[in-house]
Amino acid sequence: MTDAALAIERASLTLGQFSLRAIDLELEAGEIMVLLGPNGAGKSVCLELIAGFHRASSGRILIHGREVTDLPPEQRRVGLVFQNFGLFPHYTVAGNVSLGLRARRGAGRTGTARNVGELLSRFGVAHLSDRYPQDLSPGEKQRVALARALATQPDLFLFDEPFSALDARTRVSLREDLKAFLRHSGMPAIFVSHDQTDAALLADRVAVMNRGEILQVGAVSDIFGKPVNAFVAEFTGVENILTGRLSGQRGDLRRIEVADAVLHAPGGDFAGGEALLCLRAEEVGLRPGDDAAGPFGLVGATNRLSGKVVEAVSLGAITKVTVDCGFVLVARLTNRQARELALAPGREVIAEIEADSIHLLKPDAADRIAVANTRQANETISIPHPWRSAAQTRG
Amino acid sequence: MRNISARPNSVLLAVWLVGSLLLAFILAPLIGLATVQSPANLVRVAAMPDVRLAIALSLLAALLTTLSAALLGVPLAYGLARSDFRGKEIIAAIVDLPLAIPHTVAGIALLIVFGRQGWIGGPAGEFLGLRFWGTLAGVVVGMLFVSAPYAVNAARIGFEAIDPRLEKVARTLGMGPWDVLAKIALPLAWRSILTGLTLTYARAISEFAAVAILAYYPMTAPVKIYELFLQFGLDASSGMALLLLVVTLALFILLRQIGRRGGAFARAGR
Repeated sequence: MTDAALAIERASLTLGQFSLRAIDLELEAGEIMVLLGPNGAGKSVCLELIAGFHRASSGRILIHGREVTDLPPEQRRVGLVFQNFGLFPHYTVAGNVSLGLRARRGAGRTGTARNVGELLSRFGVAHLSDRYPQDLSPGEKQRVALARALATQPDLFLFDEPFSALDARTRVSLREDLKAFLRHSGMPAIFVSHDQTDAALLADRVAVMNRGEILQVGAVSDIFGKPVNAFVAEFTGVENILTGRLSGQRGDLRRIEVADAVLHAPGGDFAGGEALLCLRAEEVGLRPGDDAAGPFGLVGATNRLSGKVVEAVSLGAITKVTVDCGFVLVARLTNRQARELALAPGREVIAEIEADSIHLLKPDAADRIAVANTRQANETISIPHPWRSAAQTRG
Repeated sequence: MRNISARPNSVLLAVWLVGSLLLAFILAPLIGLATVQSPANLVRVAAMPDVRLAIALSLLAALLTTLSAALLGVPLAYGLARSDFRGKEIIAAIVDLPLAIPHTVAGIALLIVFGRQGWIGGPAGEFLGLRFWGTLAGVVVGMLFVSAPYAVNAARIGFEAIDPRLEKVARTLGMGPWDVLAKIALPLAWRSILTGLTLTYARAISEFAAVAILAYYPMTAPVKIYELFLQFGLDASSGMALLLLVVTLALFILLRQIGRRGGAFARAGR
């Protein structure tokens, strides 16, 4: 027995061509986990496995220590919220919520007897009780869906991309609303998304999935800063994934040759040979090249490289700068920083990279295949590297 | 949604011109039928007991047919909409088969199976006392064979239009699969089901060949009209024809009204 809110123990499942392979996942009481991955990674299947719409071919699922592996969905006590929130169009708001209440009473569950009105007021939607779902705003729909799910007194909330059909502004406000509710209720929840912002803002921990496997589970900072492989790095938006060659040690730092340049980075508990360097674009600092040029190479714990601007593209609030430092480096600057540097193609700059912000990975053939495939399948999600896209266009 | 553009559109103009030819083609014979009749003749035909009996029998048999189609066809439709297996489309094609074969062929095939010596007709007569040759049951069997596809197909479309996620949410709210069928699937597909049953009823009333072969007696309205035509010619038969037309038309207008009211939520499957 375990007192985790949810424990999935080596659950496997095959659906046609797709399979979930030996999924292990644990959710603490009150924890919010975001299941992150591209389309087709198996996130929704995983969620439906927990909810009971698929039966695991092997392994176990426990909710608060209660084994539910073979229980039908109606006996699992999970609240499920889908895209568009899944309100029943032929029932009013009050009708939708009372369906959940009645089902709970039918199952003989004990607890404070709440009525529909109380639940609706708690979510601030009591005035809508006679409306039909098609007349509600997305925010109101979400509240009604939460009230309805809560009426059944679930042990666990599951969210399957509830925001994916919403515009950016609505999305932000609903995400805040949902987070406040989950924090306040202390309800454990799994939230499926392909959006890293959802993960960063909602999650206590993130699980990254691809092709039916969980690749990495960890705190947001771990997932974003210390990806376990190139797929996770790329999917979480690491713009600089560089191939280098380990060529020595300097103090605690490894010396890595990247194309014509040399970088220093900590860690990488593996012997020499090739290594992948993951470096988020926002960790790259740029200075004007003529500004007290100073020493290059490792200065203190900072890598200083000289380079030339290849391209500076405004992405709205920020500017994405591509610099040639012997290898191609992508930096993200605020528009103000970019203006002050007077960035233009050909401009000489100094790139500053803290050694600690570089994450070393052992290159793995399988990862590279995964990276390559994801790029084809998810053009809109992954941010292509300029030199690779150039190579693709040429090839 | 109603008016895509207020400006006259040459494509729309053209399709309506062509379409009105078809409308005229459908309406012309029916108007012709109405105009050759004097009201007096209509009243005289309507007063004939065997004519009234035949129309009443048609309405009753079609009602029984529709109920049978609902009881047997809606479950099949739900099954087709909610399961996925190899050969599902073969089953769907079998459902459509009666639409494709000539109804005389259907009548003969039904007679072979439901006749006194048939696989079904034999045992049913022996053990249940249910006979199909020349009985109301036979009329219903003939009507059901040719009209059931409409009930199944319309209901299937209705069930398929429901977002399966609604049913999943309902399950997590604690409803068992039967509850979900009764409270979510059936109410949301209700309008499509009703449309299908209306079509089934219409097709059942209008069936002639399959019914005439399996159960010429008791006479349904189409069979009676055919007999009047053979015995007394165009005048007598067209009077009853118009009468049947008026009765069924009134009925369908009524059914459509009910359908509109009953299915207010079918538009929102999301």
